[in-house]
Amino acid sequence: MHLDDRLFSDKRFYLPLLAAVLVLPWLPMGICGPYVLRVATLTLVYMVLALGLNVVPGFTGLLDLGYVGFFGLGAYTAGLLTVHYQWSLWLVLPLAALNGALWGVLRGAPTLRLSDDYFAIVTFGFSELIILVIRNEHWLTRGPMGVPGIARPDFFGKVLDQPWQAFYLILFFLFLVLWVVVRIRSSRLGRAWFAIREDEIAAECVGVNVASYKIIAFALSAAIGALAGAFYARWFRFIHPDMFKFWESILILCLIVFGGMGSISGALLGALILVPLTEVLRIILPAELSNARYLLFGLLIVCMMRWRPAGLLPVQKE
Amino acid sequence: MLTAILEQSSLFLQQLVNGITLGSIYALIAVGYTMVYGVIQLINFAHGEIYMLGAFLSFSLLSGFFGFGLPFGLAVLLSVLVCALAGVLLDVVAYRPLRRAPRLAALITAIGMSIFLQNLALLIWGAQIKSFPQNAIPSFLSEPALLLGDVVISWLQVVILLTVIFLMLVLQLIVHYTRIGRAMRAIAQDKTAASLMGVNVDRVVSYTFALGSGLGGVAGILVGLYYNAVYPTMGYFAGIKAFAAAVLGGIGSIPGAILGGGILGLAEVFGGGYISSSYSNGIAYAVMILVILVKPTGLFGRHLRDKA
Repeated sequence: MHLDDRLFSDKRFYLPLLAAVLVLPWLPMGICGPYVLRVATLTLVYMVLALGLNVVPGFTGLLDLGYVGFFGLGAYTAGLLTVHYQWSLWLVLPLAALNGALWGVLRGAPTLRLSDDYFAIVTFGFSELIILVIRNEHWLTRGPMGVPGIARPDFFGKVLDQPWQAFYLILFFLFLVLWVVVRIRSSRLGRAWFAIREDEIAAECVGVNVASYKIIAFALSAAIGALAGAFYARWFRFIHPDMFKFWESILILCLIVFGGMGSISGALLGALILVPLTEVLRIILPAELSNARYLLFGLLIVCMMRWRPAGLLPVQKE
Repeated sequence: MLTAILEQSSLFLQQLVNGITLGSIYALIAVGYTMVYGVIQLINFAHGEIYMLGAFLSFSLLSGFFGFGLPFGLAVLLSVLVCALAGVLLDVVAYRPLRRAPRLAALITAIGMSIFLQNLALLIWGAQIKSFPQNAIPSFLSEPALLLGDVVISWLQVVILLTVIFLMLVLQLIVHYTRIGRAMRAIAQDKTAASLMGVNVDRVVSYTFALGSGLGGVAGILVGLYYNAVYPTMGYFAGIKAFAAAVLGGIGSIPGAILGGGILGLAEVFGGGYISSSYSNGIAYAVMILVILVKPTGLFGRHLRDKA
């Protein structure tokens, strides 16, 4: 049985997983302090993003090159609502996810009949437009000045100002998203998505409502991306248009290509390996050349496609 | 009143000249996208990086970055040849092994190569904007060729336009009147049938990459001279705009790419001048999305087979 199916169904998996997750953050705390915890939190954010992106290219087979647009949209929705109205995280987060889903549908609806590469181009252009609007509409987003001083996450009126609290918060969201994705994957909806991925025309012929299932995938994927963005804004407490460049979309894509497209455990593994690696490279490389770490990701994508297109933890075909 | 009108019209004319110059360069890059797409139905995302390579190579050969300097003509020629070769190499190393793989795999590989090459340039040449050494390029290029009131047309703009027109004519001749051009068109129509008729598909695809990449390299050199700025990310935006031009013209169609390039160059300059300069990059994205959504075949494109 594949790892994905066992994640939430095999009882033997619960205890080790829970233990690892509860113990892991404390191990580095003793050795390296808050920096490692920060990287760990970031890794979890990217795990959520990888799970969210995975829904569209992994489950329905459509290449999304603009996922960072939803990440940015969620971050700015949450950041601006927090700065202007001081709302609680638990109000801002669902609103950001809803806004993401809304734009996911708005982006998805006109693209329903597009084939592979045209869909990819539209998603790319759309996310660049989102970021362009964020950069240029100063009255709304302060443009290139960014939005500083976003309040920390809160929990029933108490401000979560310890780094480990943020870690557990995103861990909670990761499990929430993981649960949703795993459950949907093995439901009727998930099977419909796989049918679309394998052969859209055949799926339509046997009565799968391709249009509405695709729309659901777009909405879910975008909502997860925006959710991650909303958490990110409240955790990092500063957002800037440059954080949401095209390269981020590719990095997230790289996570799922590496782990195996369509594979949930693969998406998690991809983030677990590559995100800390990115942070290590950021330290090793001189500041001026820190972007050159993407070289590795480019090469990794090419090599994976060449020699192991199904990723490290491929989905087994039935 | 009259002076105001004159001022407006000279501004308009200057914008027109700049727009045509920019558009002709976009056309040169767009042709590379469209030719490759025509033959193997792949959006070669790394094409913008070939263009960047052309600019960097000519800069390096002229400024002695590699330890030696070359005269202008030789440096340009060598840069273009290396770009053509790089294009072929790109295809052989990255794309050819995936010809039978799902299209998504090749597309993702193309993105990977684009990022790889861009950051390779960052490692080799650094992030700082490089400019051509003024003593290494012919001095007449920076002088005005034509002065119409306030409107200035520089020799460089004239040279750019003439170069592009010349290359496009040569390209048309190659595609329509040579053996290899006929083979390209045959493969574009039906790859399997062409190969059954004895066309060596791999060889023709290599030629296509060489031609497209050579033209991309020329565009990179021209832009490097025009803006006098060479930097690793220059291929990214130019690539997107040229791709938008190719889509606008109808991907797979060479005349379409030329027309699309012209329209996009003008739209960018006029949109930037009269509407908002901060959204001038957005015009390319908007055009791209609108064309794909409303008329995916573009101005001249043939209908694409779905799920080919």
